[in-house]
Amino acid sequence: MFEARLLKSGQLKKILEAIKELLKEATFDCSDSGIQLQAMDDAHVSLVSMCLKSTGFDKFRCDRNLSMGINLESMVKIMKCCSNDDIMTIKAQDNADTLTIMFETSNQEKMSDYEMKLMNLDQEHLGIPETNYSCIIKMPSTEFARICRDLSQFGESVIIACTKDGVKFSTSGDIGSANVKLSQNSSIDKEEEGVTIEMQQAVCLTFACRYLNLFCKAAPLSPQVILSMSGDVPLVVEYQIEELGYIRYYLAPKIEEDD
Amino acid sequence: MNVLYRSYFHPKNGIKKEKDPPVLSVSTSSTSPEDLEVVHTTPIKTYGKRKKHAILFSDSDEETSDSKKKCAKNTISTKPNDEKLEESIEEQSPLKDTDKSLTQDNEISESDCGTTKINDHPIKDALQDQTQIKTKCEESSLPSIKFEPTHIKSDNSDTDEKVPNKLITDKKNKLKKKSKKASKIESFEKSSDEQSPTKDADESPNHKNVSESEYDPTKKNYHPIRDAFWNHNQPTPYRALTKTLLCIEEVSARLKIIEILSNYFRSVIVVSPKDLLPSVYLCLNKVCPDYIGLELGIAETTLLKAIVQTTGRSMAQVKSDVKKTGDLGIVAEKSKSNQKTMFKPARLTVKSVFDKLKEISEMTGHAVTVKKLDKIQSMFIACQDSEARFLMRSLAGKLRIGLAEQSVLQALGLACTMTPPPQNFPPEILNAAKKMSEEKFKKTYDGNTLIIKTTYCESPNLDIIIPIILEVGVSALPENCKLTPGIPLKPMLAHPTKGVHEVLSRFDGLKFTCEWKYDGERAQIHLTEDGNICIYSRNQENNTSKYPDIINRLDSTKGPNVKSFVMDSEAVAWDRENKKIMPFQILSTRKRKNANEADIKVQVCVYMFDLLYLNGESLVKRPFCERRQLLRENFIEVEEQFLLATSLDTTKMEEVQDFLEESIKGNCEGLMVKTLEEEATYEIAKRSRNWLKLKKDYLDGVGDTIDVVVLGGYLGRGKRTGTYGGFLLACYDPDSEEYQSICKIGTGFSDEDLQTHTEFFQQHIIDGPKSYYRYDQSHEPDHWFETAQVWEIKCADLSLSPVHRAALGIVDPEKGISLRFPRFLRIREDKSIEQSTSAQQIAELYYSQVQIINQGSTNTNREDFY
Repeated sequence: MFEARLLKSGQLKKILEAIKELLKEATFDCSDSGIQLQAMDDAHVSLVSMCLKSTGFDKFRCDRNLSMGINLESMVKIMKCCSNDDIMTIKAQDNADTLTIMFETSNQEKMSDYEMKLMNLDQEHLGIPETNYSCIIKMPSTEFARICRDLSQFGESVIIACTKDGVKFSTSGDIGSANVKLSQNSSIDKEEEGVTIEMQQAVCLTFACRYLNLFCKAAPLSPQVILSMSGDVPLVVEYQIEELGYIRYYLAPKIEEDD
Repeated sequence: MNVLYRSYFHPKNGIKKEKDPPVLSVSTSSTSPEDLEVVHTTPIKTYGKRKKHAILFSDSDEETSDSKKKCAKNTISTKPNDEKLEESIEEQSPLKDTDKSLTQDNEISESDCGTTKINDHPIKDALQDQTQIKTKCEESSLPSIKFEPTHIKSDNSDTDEKVPNKLITDKKNKLKKKSKKASKIESFEKSSDEQSPTKDADESPNHKNVSESEYDPTKKNYHPIRDAFWNHNQPTPYRALTKTLLCIEEVSARLKIIEILSNYFRSVIVVSPKDLLPSVYLCLNKVCPDYIGLELGIAETTLLKAIVQTTGRSMAQVKSDVKKTGDLGIVAEKSKSNQKTMFKPARLTVKSVFDKLKEISEMTGHAVTVKKLDKIQSMFIACQDSEARFLMRSLAGKLRIGLAEQSVLQALGLACTMTPPPQNFPPEILNAAKKMSEEKFKKTYDGNTLIIKTTYCESPNLDIIIPIILEVGVSALPENCKLTPGIPLKPMLAHPTKGVHEVLSRFDGLKFTCEWKYDGERAQIHLTEDGNICIYSRNQENNTSKYPDIINRLDSTKGPNVKSFVMDSEAVAWDRENKKIMPFQILSTRKRKNANEADIKVQVCVYMFDLLYLNGESLVKRPFCERRQLLRENFIEVEEQFLLATSLDTTKMEEVQDFLEESIKGNCEGLMVKTLEEEATYEIAKRSRNWLKLKKDYLDGVGDTIDVVVLGGYLGRGKRTGTYGGFLLACYDPDSEEYQSICKIGTGFSDEDLQTHTEFFQQHIIDGPKSYYRYDQSHEPDHWFETAQVWEIKCADLSLSPVHRAALGIVDPEKGISLRFPRFLRIREDKSIEQSTSAQQIAELYYSQVQIINQGSTNTNREDFY
């Protein structure tokens, strides 16, 4: 028996919005420590790793480890049926082939429940190595989204160069080139509005804009985004979800075309 | 392809790596893939440019094993530590096959995977640099050979005693050598490839002696087990098939092709018989029997998009490559990705590819192109080398390697003769040819092939045929796979002839009959015992829903004793008012699918000419005169609905000639000539004396030639790459001073012709069409030419066309005239552009056609014109 109760269904809604364009279907692995999801997009270029801790839920029970193959599009449809303040409960029997999602309004006047068929997905379990990254950049998530959106008008790939002074995003394309440079500013009152850079070594990598833009759909989840980079390893874009866990996106760099 | 996609992490710092294929040379049913993970604090500088793909973290293959899950979980949740590594290595060891020593495993993984080697060296360097390395294992049940982490570990700590010391030293030496070359990784890869075969051959005592990279179905004395690089009951790697296809592509001799393909089939029959069916389908480039009507044929733009999205190259680049090579497959194979991937996808197997192709062809509905694209992409990223080429071609619907259906069947026959199924593994008979005389073998081989071909003609469903071959053997086919109403059989086709005298010389001394050759659509009408009616086309497409009118009327023609039958006939458009046959073009305006009887405007009359099955009995082995007799006895002619084909039994040349002219006046294409008694069965595979067709346009003196102007050229593909493959032709209208498109032409050219034309017209390319060229967008050529040359061409017919513009407004206010089956004759050097056939002349030629004269009175436009 698996049961998880979340006071604000809007949180899960946002999470789904943040991954549904990268993944069409995914396996949610439930255990008593929480819910985990890990999957690559079809092109195997990016990877989504999501973790929702059991402690972040209002109520969480998972007697046996459970892997649920979910069609995200269908789940988004169900999530559209609730309002953000509704209390939601997800339930599944052991070995069930359906998942029940219930919503109740905060004043308990309206209850609705939806049942969704689960899928049998070929699952690839992927091990992500722990890496000490050369650069860790923290910046406001809206700022990052804005930069990605702006730069994607100019070219297909963005070069992210991180130095001591700051981080530079640049691109070039048919119409010309674009550069955005952010400097460290931790002086601002709120920590999450500042840009901080922890750097051991300068890094410069190229990434496909398309994916960065997809990652930015997670911006509503967190005011701050953490970018971790090292030479020639995937970029990690991490959004902390308050009290609940995190979403991390991994993106394989592009190879500079020199042939 | 060299590297279609390079996946990420590593060749630069050389720490993570990935090895090639899950299925490697020494295939044992289980091996241990693992991968290592690295934590490093400083990026390590690169050795040369990366060329080979490498993958990030690890790579897990499709099937999950418990241990794999365990590993994966470890990875996710906690930091890996050495203990775990040990653990997982230990877990692997029991998996190792008894018949394969560890040494081999190492050797092969080492020699086979170019990347692997490069990477070792950097790792050592990295170690010296105090880089912290942790290895971890991922494992999968698939027999991928990924032994690398163990190597590293042993290099590292010498704890892994399983790795022989010799190997380590060996390797170190090699690595030193390698590092010098590292800046030229490509050449390095080659050298590693060269090394691997010798090693494998020398050191594998067991039954495998090839690695994946050297798999060679062209080999003499091919050994179906030893020369196959995959193992018993292991899925056949797609690579094996594409390698076979690649070899076939390079050969043009039919017998050689058959031999190559049969070698591959033999391996499949013995090693992984379940993959025979998908293999045969992939060779034929089909996903199901024709009559089910699923086709691939993905639009080129979709495939281009898949290449662009997967490789990160620009559309313009890819398109220009396609122009250069003329083949999407090769472009896909050569396209190097500039986008790394996270984890390398599992290798493709014949079955997985076939299943996905089938899924793609079955997809319908909303946003289906996007869904197809996703599926294509997911396969494409897993492609290596030639896999991409053939995957793209399969998707596009054409393999273009000169592998005809008949050759595939013959190869199957050869394979089943040399290595006859069913046998247990390991099979006793691997090469039957050794045990019998050449003649006897030849006889068995021919016999088997004939059985397969005949069965395939009568019941073209491989889903039934292949399992019977595998479970019982070829000889069981005739009993188990019979002509069944409801399953279309291949129709007997006719051989073209040039004239009446040719007919007479071929059928000299035989009784034969001439039938009018109606200009309609072949309709194979089936009635099953339980009353279902199906109508199939010439290509076994299901046309049942196209002809609800025929189905409803069928009862009126069927005699009282007929319970089930298969009839061969021609459906022809019929003009009820004038009681005349109408040309094929009219028939083709009918709705193709799900026609509603009430909406039908074009009436059809069915001309019955053959009966292949009646009341539970197959008639294909009976001579034509008997079949015709049964047809006449059991079916009643119904005016304007069901008629017997007009026929004449004769032996006199004059009578045939007269009958031919009569048929043309009767709006037919010409005559079909068939023997009545001898060699008159309907056994297509037996090459019984073919039916002959005598068409009016094949006759000398019928049909004028036309002189037309060349307006543009279409770039050639496949065999015609580098030259133009077709041209857009036009006639000149002196009144409006316009050039009006009349047809596209692609036949009648020799290779030299094409070369000459290409050279000539390349000097006359212009940027865009002149303002006085009249053409339809759908025919826009790749290159436009100045009007520089006049060609003399011949055609079968002139017909009204909604897209061509010749004589537009003269014959029909909306439609122009186009030529059917144009053939190039020669260049008219003596004619100037303005002297080419004028629009007016084209219109006159159109009217002068017999069929049009027959319709004359109804054609109001013509009255206007005159």
